[in-house]
Amino acid sequence: MTVHEPVNILMVDDQPGKLLSYEAILDPLRENLLKANSGRQALEQLLKTDIAVVLMDVSMPDIDGFQLADMIREHPRFQKTAIIFISAVHLSDLDQLKGYERGAVDYVSVPVIPELLRAKVSVFAELYRKTQQLENLNRELERRVAERTEELRESESQFRSLANSIPQLAWMADPGGSISWFNQRWYDYTGSSFEQVRGDGWSSLIHPDDVTRVARGIENSWKLREPWEDTFQIRGKGGNYRWFLSRALPIHDVNGKIVRWFGTNTDITERKQAEEALIKSERLAAMGRLAGIIAHEINNPLEAISNAFYLLRDHPSLDEEARYYSKLAEQELSRVAHITKQTLSFYRESQEPVQVCFSDLLDNIIELQSRRLKLSNIVFEKRFQTQGMIQGYPGELKQVFLNIIANAVQAMPSGGKLRIRLAKSSVRTNGIEGVRVSVYDNGAGIPPEHANRIFEPFFSTKQMKGTGLGLWISKGIIQKYQGTIRFRSLSFQGYAATCFSVFIPASFATKPGDANAAVVA
Amino acid sequence: MNATLKCGNPRKRVILCVDDEENPLMLRKRVLQKAGYHVLTARSGTEGLQIAATEDVDLVLSDYLMPSMNGAEFAARIKALYPQIPVMLLSGVNEIPPNSYLADAFLSKIEGPDNLCQYVAEFLKSKSL
Repeated sequence: MTVHEPVNILMVDDQPGKLLSYEAILDPLRENLLKANSGRQALEQLLKTDIAVVLMDVSMPDIDGFQLADMIREHPRFQKTAIIFISAVHLSDLDQLKGYERGAVDYVSVPVIPELLRAKVSVFAELYRKTQQLENLNRELERRVAERTEELRESESQFRSLANSIPQLAWMADPGGSISWFNQRWYDYTGSSFEQVRGDGWSSLIHPDDVTRVARGIENSWKLREPWEDTFQIRGKGGNYRWFLSRALPIHDVNGKIVRWFGTNTDITERKQAEEALIKSERLAAMGRLAGIIAHEINNPLEAISNAFYLLRDHPSLDEEARYYSKLAEQELSRVAHITKQTLSFYRESQEPVQVCFSDLLDNIIELQSRRLKLSNIVFEKRFQTQGMIQGYPGELKQVFLNIIANAVQAMPSGGKLRIRLAKSSVRTNGIEGVRVSVYDNGAGIPPEHANRIFEPFFSTKQMKGTGLGLWISKGIIQKYQGTIRFRSLSFQGYAATCFSVFIPASFATKPGDANAAVVA
Repeated sequence: MNATLKCGNPRKRVILCVDDEENPLMLRKRVLQKAGYHVLTARSGTEGLQIAATEDVDLVLSDYLMPSMNGAEFAARIKALYPQIPVMLLSGVNEIPPNSYLADAFLSKIEGPDNLCQYVAEFLKSKSL
């Protein structure tokens, strides 16, 4: 601000002549010159306008100069207003001092030397001007600070609403790694309070298997000032753990100094489960292939041995004991054959799928089981609501339902109820139509600890009787049809009920008018 | 499972058995002989074709998995030369091998001797009708 802005100079004297002479002396300064004839008038002026310098005569009739100076100083607005006393009487050093004590700034004695007065007023006017400018600058600065603060507050609040809307659990830590903020999702998921998790309190929510590694990793990251990433389990409010992919990034200021850390935890439980399921199914498929290769290699010598015992069966040279052993060997061989047959079971008796009638297929299986149903005292109930026509391979489909029905029958050695239901059905999600076969029994039931394993190969509860391949193979066959096989087993106070439900899409079903298609059971 | 009598002329049905492995071939031959068939054996498709050229064969029963010429190739050659001779393929796998449609029938080895004899008898019966 180089522009000369005139400031107000108040001249106080009871003699108008003196005021005129001061005016003449100060005129070249190009300031605003205000006049007052008395102390009272001077105070009025002071209250009305901003005064840079007060020039006053010490001896005035009503209020003298010193009294006026006292009154001016009492007012907070004027405590720093410059005062120049003009005194006609000779001033001792003591009097001068008295003036300064009252905060006065300078003295001019009479006769007034115009240059001296002008110089002194000029200095104070300039001082006032500079002070004003400084104050203006300060005010501007304060205004800007206030603006920036508001902007920051706004951006902070925007950041928080963003951080609360993301699906991740988010947090912030100070440069040393003490966590000072979590988003709402964190609290919603963990059910914790800020007091419980602030600082490093969050570690109490990390799974015991992971907590040491996680704490060490993140501390290392604070120290190295490098981003951090890990996968671990965090406890939810219900006490169950879920898997999270956690990342922390340092936030730097313009000088590259870390001001805070920002972290997110993304729920990857479903992804992890899918990965595990994939690994498991790949492992099972590999096992299946291996089992198939072994079974195939066994089949060739098995045929030769079976034929050898077949020839031995009625050989005239055998006595009764040898014949008995030979018969035992044949029985055991048929078990080996059964195992390899189950393992390699994708036996397709024809190249092209044919129309399969499920009601005939199921009737056929029931007939095969009828003797066992009677022996085990099992009541059979059938509810067929459709013929259930689909395109497929009857042999393998028969194998699936023979497995399921035989399992149900074997689960009820001392009686029970077997119910088979056949109905049209469709997949709710995609509307694909097909048939659903449900097989109910009220036998022993499937204990929950076996529930995840019954479709695994070589899992059997029948010890010597089963190969542990039946349901695994059934599932494989149903999957080839893009169908589903599920079961539900409930047990309550000694009563149990199990239901296997198989859905097979009829997407290859022949058109309704195609009545001449062969029906194979 | 006796030899079929045809036009009052008692003649045993002739089966040509082909397998590269000696023991299984010999045992299969004995099982079929016991069932009343006249059995000729060959250790390869090439040898089988030579026999078919000179003998009056009613049925060819060949293993699928053989070196140099597999069962399907052998069946195709037989069919090309002697379309009237039915060919049955026998295999250790349960799934029908590729190209086995070139034969008339397919049977898994693990069906066992009783089933083999029954299947052969039924097959010959159906072919003679």
